[in-house]
Amino acid sequence: MIHRRHFIERAAKTAFGLSVFPHVARGYQLESTQGLAGFGSAKRIIFINVKGGMSHIDTFDPKKGKAKGPADVIKTSADYQVTEYLPETAKVADRISLIRTMTAKIGVHGPAQYFMRTAFAERNTIKHPNLGAWAQHYLGASHDTLPSSACINEPPRYGNGFFAPTYSPIPILEPSAGLENLDIDGGPRRLKSKLELANTLSERFVAKYQDSNVAAYRDFYDETLRLLRSKDLKAFDLGQADKATRELYGDSKFGQGCLLAKQLVEAGVRFVEVTSDGWDMHQDIKGDMSDIAPSFDQGYAALIRDLEGSGMLDSTLVVLATEFGRKPDYSGAGRGHYPLCFTVGLAGAGVKRGFVLGESDERGATPDVPHTVGDFHATIAHAAGIPREKPFLTATGRPFHVGGTRGKPILEMFD
Amino acid sequence: MKRPLFLSLAAVGLIGLTAPQLLPAEELSKKEMRQAKRKAKGRDVPGKAVEKEFKPLELAPLSSVKNPAPVERNRDLALSWQQVQQRAAGIDQEIAAKLAAGGLKRNAPSSDGVFVRRIYLDAVGRIPSPAEAKSFVEDADQKKRADLIDELLVSEGYVSHQFNWHADMLRLKSAIKRAKYGLYERWLKDGIRANRPWDKTVLAMLAADGSTATNGATGYLLRDTGMPLDSLSNTLTAFLGANVSCAQCHDHPLADWTQREFYEMASFFGATDVSHRDPRKVGNRIKTHADLTKQDGATVFSPSMHRIKDTGTNAMIYPEDYAYDDVKPGSKVTPRLISWSQADRKLSPYQVDLKNAHTLRDSFATWMTHHDNPRFAANIANRLWKQMFGIAVHEPIYDLDDLKSGSNPKLLADLTKMMVDLKFDLREFQRIVFNTKAYQAEANPTPAIGDIDGYLFAGPVLRRMTAEQTWDSILILAHGPEIDQFQVDKSHQTTRFALDFDAMESSTKALQDATLAFKKAGYIGSGSKKRLSDMDLAGSGKMPPKFGRSYVLRASELPQPERDGHFLRMFGQSSREIADDGSREGSIPQTLMLMNGEFKELLMDPESRLMKVVSSENSTGESLEEIYLSFFSRLPTAEEKKLLQTEIKKGLSLGELAWTLFNTPEFLFVQ
Repeated sequence: MIHRRHFIERAAKTAFGLSVFPHVARGYQLESTQGLAGFGSAKRIIFINVKGGMSHIDTFDPKKGKAKGPADVIKTSADYQVTEYLPETAKVADRISLIRTMTAKIGVHGPAQYFMRTAFAERNTIKHPNLGAWAQHYLGASHDTLPSSACINEPPRYGNGFFAPTYSPIPILEPSAGLENLDIDGGPRRLKSKLELANTLSERFVAKYQDSNVAAYRDFYDETLRLLRSKDLKAFDLGQADKATRELYGDSKFGQGCLLAKQLVEAGVRFVEVTSDGWDMHQDIKGDMSDIAPSFDQGYAALIRDLEGSGMLDSTLVVLATEFGRKPDYSGAGRGHYPLCFTVGLAGAGVKRGFVLGESDERGATPDVPHTVGDFHATIAHAAGIPREKPFLTATGRPFHVGGTRGKPILEMFD
Repeated sequence: MKRPLFLSLAAVGLIGLTAPQLLPAEELSKKEMRQAKRKAKGRDVPGKAVEKEFKPLELAPLSSVKNPAPVERNRDLALSWQQVQQRAAGIDQEIAAKLAAGGLKRNAPSSDGVFVRRIYLDAVGRIPSPAEAKSFVEDADQKKRADLIDELLVSEGYVSHQFNWHADMLRLKSAIKRAKYGLYERWLKDGIRANRPWDKTVLAMLAADGSTATNGATGYLLRDTGMPLDSLSNTLTAFLGANVSCAQCHDHPLADWTQREFYEMASFFGATDVSHRDPRKVGNRIKTHADLTKQDGATVFSPSMHRIKDTGTNAMIYPEDYAYDDVKPGSKVTPRLISWSQADRKLSPYQVDLKNAHTLRDSFATWMTHHDNPRFAANIANRLWKQMFGIAVHEPIYDLDDLKSGSNPKLLADLTKMMVDLKFDLREFQRIVFNTKAYQAEANPTPAIGDIDGYLFAGPVLRRMTAEQTWDSILILAHGPEIDQFQVDKSHQTTRFALDFDAMESSTKALQDATLAFKKAGYIGSGSKKRLSDMDLAGSGKMPPKFGRSYVLRASELPQPERDGHFLRMFGQSSREIADDGSREGSIPQTLMLMNGEFKELLMDPESRLMKVVSSENSTGESLEEIYLSFFSRLPTAEEKKLLQTEIKKGLSLGELAWTLFNTPEFLFVQ
């Protein structure tokens, strides 16, 4: 018991008479943002994950001179400019605010994606949750028959983190296919009667053990049956949308994913992540942007328009995120990974309109006042109405806050 | 532009059944070494390069590249039947005493039907076939439980099941980026098959040298390449139950570990180069040859670039953001072993060499795996106990810092001593525990979370099957026990490219010539298109049955872990990102899969064993019995029979009945 002594000495030095928890003693007590502008304004969140590292300079933070990419700038409906790769987005830019001053340190896709989705560095000893799971923990389930989180075009990777598996987003890997394994032999009535038979045959077993895990399984069957018979199940089906709407979003996996996300949040799913893949442009910015930007531009702009048209934009936060930016120097080919400066976006739900926070230098290499991924997550958590000052204690007693202890909500983003 | 084949290349073309090797022709003098180093830095500028000489590779035809035969299965159980019973009785006594002190009694013995299903699942990872269950239940021999345990522990199913358990604990992956770990999988499976003692297994992993092409044991450390601190944290937790993860970044808020202690331990790995160089960079160098592509180079050199080597110089320093002022950030860290008490330091494991940088890692491995290290034996005994009873003697398993706490410290101490006496023979340890009356008693429901560390083992606890057990049990229903005999071994994917990359690295020419030789012999790209080729088969060499486009194989023979969305992942197979992460909890997509998923077609296929039973000439009564035996390893009760016969008259098909039983907790849970 030798080490106990060191431990107590240290605790006593830093927190005499206050607390024996060094993490609290080191000033990790967070202030509540409840009641401040934007708190709780986002009833729903759509988290667009641009995977591969979106080149900020070729999209939302255009530059002149040596850093300039293949595309010219265009004017937008807001006071900022974007590149000509984003003509549709430019038309709704007055609804979208940007943070051009993001900074991070991780320049490897996997760990950087993990970091952008969780605000924690990837460790091999614990999994961290995404924002949907955090929200479900603090705010409860968002619907009585539908799941509270979904992820589109990507598996649920590290979604529930240290929370229960039921907090994991329900994955839709192919938006047009919707939720799979819904085909029931003999129809729902037959299914129900078979499950009733299963229950009857299980009575002895269930009574004998009275086990909580067995009960949980039966709950899942109930939930699944409820979902199967939910009047909102159709939210998973893109066939519900009319042809014009489907065309508005564009005939791409990302575009249709955005439409599915809109249908899901409209039906009551709180948090939906939509992934746009293919942004790792090392060899050929010009060619790759021409391939990918149009479908992204169309889907993203359509989502903003459609949400606004349905009167949902004021209470729906549309997050635009990517794991890092790309290198300032451009020689006509591709650009490497660049985490030190990149751009993210926020739209709807009490966020200012057409606003740009901070600026990067003339090369797009350094932010003036840098903001971290922790700040970004804390901002989203604030908008969602999560009391971030209350830590979650894991089974091993480790305290965690949304966005980490150092993340600070960026309150300038809100009206 | 094609170059003529350079003849001054040296080789030791070791051909044949194992792997080719390419080694420098002769030992280099010190001067040559210096030149080679200089050259490596300058990446052989044309004209200035000093070409080291390699003999050309002589490669056997690809068709002769085969995985070596699996090691012989060790069928020798170490203890006599009497010795096993004696030790089992000792454990029962300890448990009974603790139960009595709490005013409790051991549960009644389980029925043969419950026992046979439980022991198959716990020993070989799947339910018994109806024939296996029936022959056990009908056997009148008094010793039949002990005999069945012995039989199962030396069977192939045991290897598969234990491998899954290891894979979850060790976070094993078949591939990480461009590195392939087939040889590591093979090495672990061979170790289980040969019943290699646990201390030898762990020592080999921690002290491993070589590459993914030459030494499977390197897989453990290479798994965490580039993350030495995470690797250490996992190592201390997996093998000693030390709860250290917080101390990586700051003093542990709730345990005794300090950040400094953490770095002092990490320092044992400071003189080890666990390399994960990007093979695409070599690909870029060799593609200057017109016949070669970047991918060719990546394929050929990746297996030997992922390697572990001792450098002889300890490079571990305190981090720039070190949280305290007792040492200077950036200063060198002196290796020091952690201890749980001052008395620990007098123990023999602590008397290892801390000075010689060349052997630091060996010192660490020796200390950790020493039979007198108080936690090494306790940790594995505690983990195995959890595998069999569902709850460990000391919970949670990743925090054994205080051996005096827990539900029954005396029991854990006894088991620890037993593990040492058995010389870390895990199979013999399991054999003894399987023979206890406590293990063979009726199961209890899972206690509430707060009561888990107070559980006194009146019997094992009811558990949902693991993802792997569920999958493998479905295969038994569809194909029967012969499914245990199909083994996949992809180690040839790396062993055939066994090269001394470090020696060749400086010479683009040597790299190109080696790649050309592999390309010419057809080694590149072969077998990678198909999900399974005959090269991938171990054991019998028979192709497994097919289902749709994929092969029907036990979970241990599939990619580790399976892809997202696969049945196994949906049922909680660990993503292998963090240790002991397999989950037994449900979800909506999982339930949808149980109700409507594609496995249904596997079971309901007319060729499946289950459907053959159902559609045979049997009477309805006989079919019902077969179906019950298949799913639950028991016969239906009179009441169940009556109910089902009524349902069948009302139109329930036997296929629908099978679906119904599949969707009951009695199928999914291990009693």
